[in-house]
Amino acid sequence: MKFFQSLLAKYMLIILLALSIVQISYMGTAMFVLGITKTGVGEFSSEVLLESEIEEQWHAQSKNINNVSNDAITQLFQRWQEQLPTASMFWVSEDGTLLTTVNVQEELPAKWTPAFTTKFIKQRYGGDPFTVIAFLDDDVSNGFIVLEVPRNVFNPPLINIYENYGNFLFLGVIAIILFFIVVSLLFFKGIRKRLLHLQDAMEIRDVDGLPIEIHVKKKDEIGQLEHSFNRMVCELRESKQRQQKEEQLRRELIANLSHDLRTPLTKVRAQSYSISKEALSEEGKQALRAMETSIVNIDALIENLMSYTLLMASKYKFEPKDINVIRFVREHLTTWYPVFEREGFTIDIELQAFEHHEWCVDPIWLGRILDNVFQNVLRHANSGKYIGVKTESTASYTAFIIEDHGNGMKNESNAKGAGIGLSIVDVMVKGMHLEWDICSDPSGTKIIIKHVNQSAMLGQ
Amino acid sequence: MIRILYIEDEKEIGQWVSKDLTERGYEVTWLESGDGLEQHLSSKDIAILDVMLPGLDGFSIGKRIKRANNELPILMLSARTAVEDKIEGLNFADDYLTKPFHPDELVARLEVLLRRYQKNDDVLELQHLKMYTKDMRIINTLTEEEILLTGKQFYLLQYFIRHLNQILTKEQLYEGVWGESYIEGDKTLMVHIRYLREKIEINPAKPMIIETIRGIGYRVKL
Repeated sequence: MKFFQSLLAKYMLIILLALSIVQISYMGTAMFVLGITKTGVGEFSSEVLLESEIEEQWHAQSKNINNVSNDAITQLFQRWQEQLPTASMFWVSEDGTLLTTVNVQEELPAKWTPAFTTKFIKQRYGGDPFTVIAFLDDDVSNGFIVLEVPRNVFNPPLINIYENYGNFLFLGVIAIILFFIVVSLLFFKGIRKRLLHLQDAMEIRDVDGLPIEIHVKKKDEIGQLEHSFNRMVCELRESKQRQQKEEQLRRELIANLSHDLRTPLTKVRAQSYSISKEALSEEGKQALRAMETSIVNIDALIENLMSYTLLMASKYKFEPKDINVIRFVREHLTTWYPVFEREGFTIDIELQAFEHHEWCVDPIWLGRILDNVFQNVLRHANSGKYIGVKTESTASYTAFIIEDHGNGMKNESNAKGAGIGLSIVDVMVKGMHLEWDICSDPSGTKIIIKHVNQSAMLGQ
Repeated sequence: MIRILYIEDEKEIGQWVSKDLTERGYEVTWLESGDGLEQHLSSKDIAILDVMLPGLDGFSIGKRIKRANNELPILMLSARTAVEDKIEGLNFADDYLTKPFHPDELVARLEVLLRRYQKNDDVLELQHLKMYTKDMRIINTLTEEEILLTGKQFYLLQYFIRHLNQILTKEQLYEGVWGESYIEGDKTLMVHIRYLREKIEINPAKPMIIETIRGIGYRVKL
């Protein structure tokens, strides 16, 4: 990432901009002030007017008038007015007559009495406007000329600017502050928006359950974060794909193993079936029946072994959903009924509707549990020739009871194996958050598969 | 005669199944792979496919068959027993039987498929009834009279015939015949079965054709 593409650089730029605006405004103001003062000071030596200088020049110029006439006075007044447009001037003769006036706003008497003159001098002494009285050509007989300049002309330029343009300056400062606030706000709003977008993107899940990659628009710090996030998603996806591939390989291996074991088993059955078509002694027929039973048992064992291997490695597909469990068990029994019927079992089925007949289970798993239990009854409790499938419903649970009249688990038949079938039942029952009990005595075995009522459990 | 297309690469199993089916009266064409499959498709009534085959596997062959002739029932016969394989197979095939199988079971399943696709014999003899499955005429052989059924009774019996020897639950029957979800406690089905029994059974109180399987449903057994 280049420094100039970073958020830090942008933030620094905003700060510099803000500082520059303040500086530029001051400079602008100064230049503005300079411009104004330069236009208003005329021939005066200083940019700031001084009362003493005005007074001195007024006296000097009044003294320099040799030929006192109306024209000369008017010219003098005009020159001064050009330099001081706000100034007012008038000439009073020796006998007190008001002669030439320029820009006089106030009410002046046409005839000046000594009293008025005294009063005028007293009023103007140290007052506003600044007033200078000078005799013409240093001769009292020519009368006197008066210059009145408003005091604010002598104010420093800044004071004048504040007085004249104060509102604009105030608004300008406010505008600059607002501009800075808006720029900062937009900057942080942009960051916030992108962070929130990133947060949203992190929470959205694709069909495979992983977050979706973000389109990176900028190469700043957040852009880098987005890049890192995308990298993480990519790695997660690769990891998941590896895992799926591994699962697939494992399943494939087990499926192939199962296939390779079953194919010769089918050939054995083919041979035994062919032999069974021949004329055989009773002993031969007995041997064939035993072989047939072994084929069935090996088939079940291979199936159980494969399933158990997958279950133990948590690679057995599990997709729970709400199913009508009474209907499911009843339909499942339709495939087992003929098997028990052929074996001469008494079949007792009583499936009463539950109040809540939906269990959240994987139908394949539940089917497998029932298959293994029925297979167990067929193999180990064949002597009892009885199979009962019933429902039980209490306040705390609903259950299926599978009952046989065999010799019980402790006195199992000769077909006893490693118990892998029931181990699968155990793993699957627990995997689906169900419970199961086995009650076994020499008169038979009862297997209860329970679905605990969660609301009843919470109420306890 | 029912003509079967059978694809199996294992010679011993292929020979055994071909021989057994031929002995049972079927005409079997046995191929060891999917090569030259096309020429047989139009002339066969049913196909039995193994999955693990040299070249194209049974799933691909089955899909091709269904594309070429959707009316040809397919039974997958495989030593692959994983749920995933069964699901993949049943996506297009009509049945999936795993090895090692008993030939009787294979034949029973073939017959179910043939009935479902109405490819087997026209006449079905069930106890004292003679049924002409194509036009669904039912003759009582005791009286030589035709039994006339109402629309629903006819569909109900037809559904049983298509699922001969299978136990059907009340839900399966109701949904198969009425095409609606079964509501627990609904007596419609039982009433129709009673009327049907009155028409086809010799003694409706002791039915011999439509068997009641207590706690599960009903079955019509050949």
